[in-house]
Amino acid sequence: MIFLAQLRSWWNALVHRTRIDDEIEAELQFHIEAHTQQLIDTGVPPREAERRAKIEFGRVDVQKEKYRTAIGLQPLHEIGGDIRYGFRSLYKNPGVSIVAVLSLALGIGATTAIFSLIYAALLHPFPYAGADRIVNPAIIDETHPQVPTWFALTPSQFDSLSKANSIDSIIGFNLAGLTTTDNDLPEDVRATYVTSNASSFFGVPAKLGRGIQPFDVAKGMQPANVVVLDYKFWKSKYDSDPKIVGQILQLNHENYTIIGVMPKRFTFTHTVGNADVYIPWTSTRFPHLLPWIKLKPGVSLATANAEFQSFLDRFKQETPKHFPSSFHVSVQPIIEPYVHRTGRTLGLLFASVIVLLLIGCANCSILLFARGESRQHEFAIRSAIGASRFRIVRQLLIESLAISCAGAVIGVAVSFWLADLPLRLMPDAFPQEAAITINLPILAFSVGLALITGLLFGLSPALHLSRPNVSQTIQSTARVAGISASKRTLNALIGGQIALTFVLLGLAGAAIAGFMKITSTQLGYDPHNVIVVGIPIKQDLKKNQVERAAYIGQLRERVAAVPSVVSVSVANRGIPPSPPFDGMQAPFEILGEQSSQEQHAAISLVSPEYFATLKIPLLSGRVWDQTENQRGDFVAVINQALAQRYWPKGDAIGHQIRAASLKDDGSPLSATSPQSGEWRQIVGIVADSRNNGLEQPTTPAIYVPYTTFMWNYTQLFIRTTNSPLASLRAIRTALHSVNSEQRMRAEADELEEGLQHEPVWAQQRLFSILFSFFACFALVLALMGLASTVSFAIARRTNELGIRMALGAQRSHIVWIVVRTTLATVASGIIVGLLLNLSLERVLRHWTPANVAAPWVVASVTLLLLACATVACLLPARRAANIDPMRTLRCD
Amino acid sequence: MGKQVDLLQGTLEILILKAVSLGPLHGYGILLRIQQISGGRLEIPQGSFYIALYRIEHKGWIKGEWGESENNRKAKFYQLTPAGSRQLKSEAEKWSQMTDVVNAILSATPEQR
Repeated sequence: MIFLAQLRSWWNALVHRTRIDDEIEAELQFHIEAHTQQLIDTGVPPREAERRAKIEFGRVDVQKEKYRTAIGLQPLHEIGGDIRYGFRSLYKNPGVSIVAVLSLALGIGATTAIFSLIYAALLHPFPYAGADRIVNPAIIDETHPQVPTWFALTPSQFDSLSKANSIDSIIGFNLAGLTTTDNDLPEDVRATYVTSNASSFFGVPAKLGRGIQPFDVAKGMQPANVVVLDYKFWKSKYDSDPKIVGQILQLNHENYTIIGVMPKRFTFTHTVGNADVYIPWTSTRFPHLLPWIKLKPGVSLATANAEFQSFLDRFKQETPKHFPSSFHVSVQPIIEPYVHRTGRTLGLLFASVIVLLLIGCANCSILLFARGESRQHEFAIRSAIGASRFRIVRQLLIESLAISCAGAVIGVAVSFWLADLPLRLMPDAFPQEAAITINLPILAFSVGLALITGLLFGLSPALHLSRPNVSQTIQSTARVAGISASKRTLNALIGGQIALTFVLLGLAGAAIAGFMKITSTQLGYDPHNVIVVGIPIKQDLKKNQVERAAYIGQLRERVAAVPSVVSVSVANRGIPPSPPFDGMQAPFEILGEQSSQEQHAAISLVSPEYFATLKIPLLSGRVWDQTENQRGDFVAVINQALAQRYWPKGDAIGHQIRAASLKDDGSPLSATSPQSGEWRQIVGIVADSRNNGLEQPTTPAIYVPYTTFMWNYTQLFIRTTNSPLASLRAIRTALHSVNSEQRMRAEADELEEGLQHEPVWAQQRLFSILFSFFACFALVLALMGLASTVSFAIARRTNELGIRMALGAQRSHIVWIVVRTTLATVASGIIVGLLLNLSLERVLRHWTPANVAAPWVVASVTLLLLACATVACLLPARRAANIDPMRTLRCD
Repeated sequence: MGKQVDLLQGTLEILILKAVSLGPLHGYGILLRIQQISGGRLEIPQGSFYIALYRIEHKGWIKGEWGESENNRKAKFYQLTPAGSRQLKSEAEKWSQMTDVVNAILSATPEQR
């Protein structure tokens, strides 16, 4: 009750400030008048009565202050005054204020950007309800423990698993390739069949229309032919048509009614491949289901693993083919792969922006020190007329907080743009669902950052400046020569800035060197103007090996006839050639040689034109001819790595090898030549080309005719005269002319672009760009700090320098005495930075294995920093050399 | 007019509360009434009087309202709130206990030891 009354009175005093002020004045005025009247009544002459009343009462202003003290608002009132005064003094020194605000804006902007990136990509990337409880029920094959795999469940197994205690809810899905049949050219559509509880599992409302609902597949009824579109598919195929709901999409000659479009951030299956459309699952549409599980709150991963293991052990007996021979369950929160992939990168980025922020803070401290020197007089006077040290410190801290808050406002605006950069440069490394938004936690973070930095850089100058030497300062008309304590702090700040800048520059240099090493990797093939087109072969089309081979050959020939096409080859291998997709890393044998351990090689199924298309030189022997290509058996070409490993004397040609993995695997999808797994003669040796990622050496490789083993899917590598995407339409038409239902995968990969999607390529590019950004910021900040110290030192010593010049000092000597202490500080800063770099090297090598911290990188960073620092010192120092001795001496 | 007495620390608040409890008054009136009742023996410093008045108002023990003074001037009249009258009662009790104790000690004679 009393508390409420106090609140009300504070509220009035703050909000209706002028009214309360007026009221107090009126009341006190009334008091004086009443008192005057009383004095007159007792016989005092009116004028004298008024004078006495006023003297007795004291000044009305003082009374108002007493009123605020009485209700406890005086400190607030004083702070208000401090803020106004602070802004005025910042405004009076616009150069210093702008530089200080900008240096903090850079630091706070970069830090907020990386924080919002971490927030968006790792802390809250998914829009799904209870996303932190959703897990991939992955299993680890004991024989290949590095890569977690998925498992498929039959509908009855799925039902049984869904009753597990740890499970809150579960969805099942599977992916299938369908074809549009309502267009002139059939198009490949990736469909996800998903159980009908998807809407409630994800809790993400559709953008248009509705999501899949349980009644779409109600029991005892024909399942409805309905489809929900993915955002990207809706955008590309339907040009974001807002009236799409209700229209018909024909897939594999069946009509589906479009019932909705999902929002942009809904991309749930992208761990296994993105979908274009979502269709309610039924067992007639797809026999198996892959599960996604939402655990009950509080269930630990270990508990879930143990429970699911018992289920899966039982399922394995029913469907042994779905599971590896020995395995254990390891459920994985859906964020896990991203943490694994980018956690360390983001950690290092965050550390480096904190360093940048520290440099910005040091810069502000330097500026405040320098400005404080010229304000000593002001503080001395304030202190002489009774300001306590606390009030001066408070005044200075409020000024630094004003700087840091202004910096934070600009910084947050910049951060929005900066945070998006990594997502655009390295899209595969972050969840697709991630979106950078400015939200409450991020704003709170930046406000906190502003307060902390304001105190950080403001405290030391404030404590120092609040102890003015009153008598000395007020007596001397000229500025006092700098105080040694502040000089020491200044030097430490500049040295620290230089050292930290050196570390960041070193990191940036190492990242750029690492990226240069990756881009200059000798690939062993020429990816320029080569496009890879994926071609699904209809399962029922050609079961027969001869027919299928002829069909693929026919497709190849038609594409080869397109005018802009230089060379076409069939090749089943990864794009770009790197694991785990590069052909098969498979065992092989050499005729007449017993080997104690298994020999492995990457086996690629290609047509003889492959080496010409990719410009891989033939070193010796020959490539198989067309007749041999049609037959498929008995021939092979190997790469140099394999030849050198097993026939170091260079006599590989003519030897026989075979690979069991080329034998008919009995799958209805594949077709093999009669003796695919039998002995083949090595007819040629080709040069090595990268086939194991960009950083790894080339592994031994065997090339065999593609006709020896064909799946229901093949690829054409096509080299064109100019940009291959321009020829895409012609290529599509050529395929279509062979078979009007022949489709190709909707997106075609340019080989060069594919290289850029290599994780190590993208990550290193991101690293080098961001680190260069930050290092440049740091360099600019440190140089600004240097330049301002030198110019303030000159301003302070103008008098002294004038005398020196009058006594005959050379201009060069003047410049030298002005910059020598600063240059000495810079040199020691560089030495400290060098030592820091060396001591951090081992940690960084672990965190960024692709960086190259070569001595030449360190040397060039040192030179760069020295050169820039010298320029930053000399530019303002030139002003010192131009001092007119007569004028300075006359000034005082 | 008797000898003037200095105000004991902390007693001004209770005096103001008491003065206001006798009927709504403006600030100057409160000052006058206290002086009248004390027979002019109590000199109240005008500066600290308003601090005390505002502190009491801030605590919600009295409430000020603008009205007309006896000679038709605008003045702020204060009256006791329920919380204020509770406060006055407890403070008055404390005060009388205190004076009893102090009186008892002061009137002690050597024989009573």
